[in-house]
Amino acid sequence: MTVNRPNPVQVGTIVWLSSELMFFAGLFAMYFTARSVMPASEWSAQADKLNVWFSAGNTTILVLSSITCQLGTYAAERFRPRRTGKLWQVGQWGMVEWIAVTYVMGAIFIAGQVTEYSDLVEQGLSIHSNAYGSVFYLATGFHGLHVLGGLIAFLFLLGRTFSAKRFGHHEATSAIVTSYYWHFVDVVWVALFSVIYLLR
Amino acid sequence: MKLESKLFLLLTPFFALMGVIYTLWSHAEPVGTVGIFLVAALSAMIGVFLALTARRIDPRPEDNPYGEIDEGAGDQGVYAPWSWWPLAIAFPAALTFLGLAVGWWLVGIGVTLGVVGLIGWVFEYSRGQHAH
Repeated sequence: MTVNRPNPVQVGTIVWLSSELMFFAGLFAMYFTARSVMPASEWSAQADKLNVWFSAGNTTILVLSSITCQLGTYAAERFRPRRTGKLWQVGQWGMVEWIAVTYVMGAIFIAGQVTEYSDLVEQGLSIHSNAYGSVFYLATGFHGLHVLGGLIAFLFLLGRTFSAKRFGHHEATSAIVTSYYWHFVDVVWVALFSVIYLLR
Repeated sequence: MKLESKLFLLLTPFFALMGVIYTLWSHAEPVGTVGIFLVAALSAMIGVFLALTARRIDPRPEDNPYGEIDEGAGDQGVYAPWSWWPLAIAFPAALTFLGLAVGWWLVGIGVTLGVVGLIGWVFEYSRGQHAH
């Protein structure tokens, strides 16, 4: 009898994500430091340029994409890579369909962020216009790069699934750890959104 | 697995407490305040994951003080016996960061080679003799 062990890929991913938490801790620390040294009126003059409702919609899309990602992971855990019914029978969907939807939602989030950036630059808030611009673009930009990395990871996951004749533990593990990453990036965004847009 | 999860979960209240003390003592200096509370979150994250894993798996021989080495025989997980691909990523990564100092043209070369290495590494066990 062999011992049922924890999956080393999953453990490694969680430990790595905890170090990513420290990376974002640096960004939060940077943001709060700039906030504490910049005159309050100057700070709020810049922060008022943010379009909170637009970003709230974008945030909703990212949070919902975590749900579709998790549904895809459940399908992967049941070793169901593709749908067993028609395309409109969502209940029969496999991992590939759910991950494709998640990918599109993540891409919409990135597109929304680009739109937001171009609006802010038009209003005169760029990365080198003032301290607020620097911390805003660094914090949200590094998060955006993480979302972009997640999108690339989804492509790799789909690529591994397509190249496998048998969808096995190798592919299912890829799906599970990619979902860990996606949920983590999502939670970090909720924190960033609360701090940058709601708390200001 | 329970011992490992306890080790991390015990650190969480410790760092949360230190975070409170630091916040009061430093009059909410931002860097340390954010950092220490997020270290509490770091250990909570690993601890909770290990606790959930411990519930899902059987006790391992490592958890048994009277366990024997041969009880741990069998499936240990999937490990690559050897691979050139990490080197094929490390070299372009070095080129890319060198490019940040030397010139952007080098970054382009580094990223292009890095993409090749990354794809090679990710698909190493999905193609060729490992295709399944």
